[in-house]
Amino acid sequence: MIRLALKDLKLFLKDRRSMLMTFAIPIALISLFAFAFGGVGKGNEETKISMQISDLDNTTLSKDAVNIFTTLKNVDAKVVPIESAQDAIKKGKESNVLVIHKGFADSLADGGELPLELQYDEAKEIEVGLLQQSLIPKVATIPFSLGNPKAMMASRFEKMTENSSPELKENIQHQSDNLFETLSKGIAENSTTQDPSSAFFGNEVKMTKLVAAKKDNGLGLIQAVAGTAVMMLLFSVVGIGMSLLEEKQEGTLKRLLYAPMNPLKILFGKMISANIISIIQLIVMFLFAALVFGLEINNHITGLLITIIATAFACSAFGVFLASFAKTRQQVQGLSTLIILVMSAIGGSMIPIFFMPSLMQKAAVLSVNYWSIQGFFDILWRNLSIFSTTFLSRILVLVLIGVILNTLAVFMFRRNILKMS
Amino acid sequence: MIEIKNLRKSYNGHAALKGISFAIQKGEFYGLLGPNGAGKTTTISIMSSILKPDSGEVIIDGMNIDTHPGQAKQLIGVVPQEIALYGDLTASENLHFWGGLYGVSSSELKKRSEEVLHLFGLYDRRNDNVKTYSGGMKRRINIAAALLHQPKILFMDEPTVGIDPQSRNLIFEVIEKLHKEGMTIVYTTHYMEEAERFCDRIGIIDNGQIIAEGTLKELKSNSALKEVVVVTYDHADESKLKELSAQWPDSNLSENKISFYAADVQSALSGIISGSGQMGADISNIEIQRTNLETIFLSLTGKQLRD
Repeated sequence: MIRLALKDLKLFLKDRRSMLMTFAIPIALISLFAFAFGGVGKGNEETKISMQISDLDNTTLSKDAVNIFTTLKNVDAKVVPIESAQDAIKKGKESNVLVIHKGFADSLADGGELPLELQYDEAKEIEVGLLQQSLIPKVATIPFSLGNPKAMMASRFEKMTENSSPELKENIQHQSDNLFETLSKGIAENSTTQDPSSAFFGNEVKMTKLVAAKKDNGLGLIQAVAGTAVMMLLFSVVGIGMSLLEEKQEGTLKRLLYAPMNPLKILFGKMISANIISIIQLIVMFLFAALVFGLEINNHITGLLITIIATAFACSAFGVFLASFAKTRQQVQGLSTLIILVMSAIGGSMIPIFFMPSLMQKAAVLSVNYWSIQGFFDILWRNLSIFSTTFLSRILVLVLIGVILNTLAVFMFRRNILKMS
Repeated sequence: MIEIKNLRKSYNGHAALKGISFAIQKGEFYGLLGPNGAGKTTTISIMSSILKPDSGEVIIDGMNIDTHPGQAKQLIGVVPQEIALYGDLTASENLHFWGGLYGVSSSELKKRSEEVLHLFGLYDRRNDNVKTYSGGMKRRINIAAALLHQPKILFMDEPTVGIDPQSRNLIFEVIEKLHKEGMTIVYTTHYMEEAERFCDRIGIIDNGQIIAEGTLKELKSNSALKEVVVVTYDHADESKLKELSAQWPDSNLSENKISFYAADVQSALSGIISGSGQMGADISNIEIQRTNLETIFLSLTGKQLRD
C-alpha cells in the first residue's frame, strides 16, 4: 500500500501540470486576492481615494476650504475645472467631484447652508461611500475653521423656533450657546474623534449622481454578464487554439502541409474560426442575459456589436498565440489557466476593479478583460456614443492587442509548430 | 518523373541524410526501405516540400520543388503513416475537405468522392463519422483522401500498418490498379512481402545513405548470399551425418540437422536427397531458406527491417 502511495507521489512530482495546478495557481491567486483585499503590499502607505474639487466660488474662503479638503486623510484631492471633472466622471476615469458652488463664502459668513455638492458615478458608489466617510466630518469642521459657527448655529435655531414663544426661544438660545461651547471644546481637544458637529453641518453636502443607473440596466447585471462572458470566452478560445496542437499530435497538421497552399493559411484559418466562434459565443451570452435577466441591449446594438467583435478579436488572438507559443497541450492548459485567472482577477471579471488598490487598478490595463469590460460599460452603462474618444480608445486597444498577439502567433507558429510537425 | 540529387539534411549537428541521390521513372513503383531512423521520413518530407534540405534538390516532373512548391505539390498525393483524418467528420466530409485543398471543384469532388468510396468499399458508410470506423476502414479512407485530385505521383508511407487481412487485400488491389493505370508510386514499408510483391525497384537506405538500389533480382544477384536447405534426420547415426556434411562443400551440422548452402537451391536439392539416401539417413523434414529481401536487408544493414 505504501509502495502504491509512493509511486503516486513520485508520478505527481514528475507531472509539472499537476504541480502547477496544485501549487503555482493557488499561490498566484492567493497573492492576487491578498493584494486586492488584504492590504498586502501597502506598507505604511494607505490606498487613497481620488477626489476632484471644482471651486466655482473662487473666493478666499473657498480656496481655504479647498486647502482643508486637500488635507483629508486617505484622499488624493486635486483641483480641476468643473467641465474636465465631469467629463472624467462620464468617461469612467474619475468617480467624483466635490463642487464648491458660488455663494459658499456668503453662506459661511451669514450662517446659511453651505452650497457643496458631490457629483459622482453611481457605478462607483462603494468608492464614493468610502470618500463620504472622510469628507462629511471635515465639512462639518468648515464653519468652525473658516466661518462664524456661533452665528450659523443661532441662525439655524432661529429658523427652527420662529413660531415659538419668546421664552422658549431664549431658553433654546441658551442651550445652543452651551452646545456650541461643548462642540468647540470637543473639536479642539480631540481632532481624531468622530466630529459631533457633523450632526449639524456635514449632511449638507448634496449628493448628485452625475452618471446614474438607468432604469433599463443594472450595474451588477452588466458587471456579471460582461465579466463572466469575457473570462469564459478566454477559456474557450484557448480550447480552439489548442486544436492546433491536437492537429499536430494527430498528424492532420502534417497532412495539411502536404497540400499546395501557404502553411500560414492553416494559422489564419484557425484565427478566423476562433473569431467566428468567439463572436457567436458573446452574442449568445448577451442575448441570454437580455432574455432571461432583462439586460437592455436594443438601444445599444451597434456599440455592443463593435465591442463584441473587438473583444472576440483580442481574445481569439490570445488563444491562438498561446497555442503557437506552447509546445504541448499540457503546457497550454497550465499556462492558460494561470494567465486567464490572473487577467480575470485584475481585469475586473471576478470583482469590480474599483474594489482593488490603485496599484492593481493600474495593472488592470494589462489584461484583455479590463478593456473589454470597460467597453461594455461605456455602451450599456455610461451610454457613450460609439464615436466618443473614450469608447473608441478602448476598442483601439482591443484591436491592437489582437494585432500584436496575432503577429506574435504567426512568428511562433513558424518557429514552433511548423518545425515540430 | 522524380530526381533526387545529393540531398543533405542535418538536425542539431546529426546528419539525417548524407547526400542521397536516386531517380524514379514515370509509372514506376519504387520501394524505399530502411530501418527506423535511416532517413526515409526525412527523404519523403523533403520530396513532399514540407521540409527544406540543407543542400541538394528534388525535381518533380521537371520542376524544382524548392522554386515551384505549389505546382509540384499539386502533382503529388501523400498517404501519411498515421491516420490523418478528422474523426468527428464523416468519410464524405473528410474527402471533400482534403480534396478541396487541392483546388478540386465541388462537382468534381462529389464525383471523385463517390468513386473512391466505391473503390475502397466504404460507400455505404460514407455518412458515418470516421471515428466510428475500424482501423482497417480508417486506413482505407486515409489512402482515399490522397487520391481525390488524381495525382500523378503517390507517396505511401507504411499504408498497411496494423490492419485486418480483408482491408489489406483491398488496399493491395487498389494499389495494383493505380500502378497499372500508370501512377508513379513511392512506397515505404516494413513488410518485405509487400515490397517484393509491388516494387519495380527498391532503394535500401541506412544511416542517411542509399546503400543498395535495383530490382529484386538485381539485389539478389548483387548480394553474396547463398540459399540454404536445412535437412532434419530421424534416428541418424552421428558419424554418418558428419560424413554426409563433409561431402558437401559448404554445410553445417548441428545435432540432427544439416544446413546445406548453395547458390541455386533448386539444383542442389536432388543431390542432397540422393546423398542422404546413400548414407542411409532418414529425412524427416526439409526446409528451404531462399534469399529474399529480408535476408538481403539484414546482410546489408546488419539490422532487421523492424529495428
